[in-house]
Amino acid sequence: MEGLRMDFLSSKALEDKSSIEKVSMIIERVKDGDILVLEGSLTPSEEAELIETTMREIDIENFVGIDIHTLEKDEKTLFGFSKKKTVGLTIIGPANVMKTVKKRSNFLSMIAKIGDSSASVH
Amino acid sequence: MNTFFRRLLDKLLRRKRKVKIGLYGHPNSGKTTLANTICEDWIGRPLGVISDIPHETRSVYKQEEVVIEKDGAKLYFDIIDTPGVATKVDYKNFLKYGLSEREAKERAKEATKGIIEAIKWLDDVTGVLLVMDSTEDPLTQANITIIGNLEARKIPFLIIANKIDLPESSADRISAVFPQHTVVPISALHKENIEELYMEMVKKFR
Repeated sequence: MEGLRMDFLSSKALEDKSSIEKVSMIIERVKDGDILVLEGSLTPSEEAELIETTMREIDIENFVGIDIHTLEKDEKTLFGFSKKKTVGLTIIGPANVMKTVKKRSNFLSMIAKIGDSSASVH
Repeated sequence: MNTFFRRLLDKLLRRKRKVKIGLYGHPNSGKTTLANTICEDWIGRPLGVISDIPHETRSVYKQEEVVIEKDGAKLYFDIIDTPGVATKVDYKNFLKYGLSEREAKERAKEATKGIIEAIKWLDDVTGVLLVMDSTEDPLTQANITIIGNLEARKIPFLIIANKIDLPESSADRISAVFPQHTVVPISALHKENIEELYMEMVKKFR
């Protein structure tokens, strides 16, 4: 398929899925060349499982792995004494498509490469 | 049984726990150089082979019964040098280091297996030295995933800001990104600040 496909998934769409289902769904779509934008984040064990599954799926020529980036937001703690960071969005895509990512607090800029052209997402 | 409950049971039974310290981090962050420095200092011989090509360590290497002695305190442990953790492995990156296409593809295949092995070892280690290249951006998914898993499993760890001998190094950048964790700046290659690391290891893992 020509062009870049991005799928946006709300946290609600993921909450009923088991970790294995989430990881399988992510890998399946990313291997097809899609970029996934998830509301929130995976748990640390799901992230480890995602990396492990990615390594099993790498086929040298066509799928070289994934890139994951998170957009964090600053939140005040209960009594407002200190700030903590929570993940607002997680972007996961094929490593050969996601080319440049600039990240600052509350800002994420990404350039995805499709064939000879490129698309920019902010 | 998870690590937290195993450690609790050990304490209740006053059982002497065998400390297994894993070296984790990105490819080329200097894990094997550090493992070699520790092994040379305390058992008199290196552990593994180092090179400039990423993913030189593609399977786990282990040295049992290392003893660090600092100010009368001793730390007994096994050292586990793991392959670098990454989210992608592209054989084409190895070609620029002079490898043939066949060698590069073979290295890429072994590297993917090594990463799986490194992740699996998180179930077995009881302490971690998370080695970061202080000339690089520390805020990567591999570092975030490793730290998240260590925190969730309650495995004690030290962050090692390696390569401080290089002019572009910034250990402060690592401390700024992970302010809640102990960061020890070192040069594993030149054994710079290595005594400080041994002190911190004895404090953290004993």
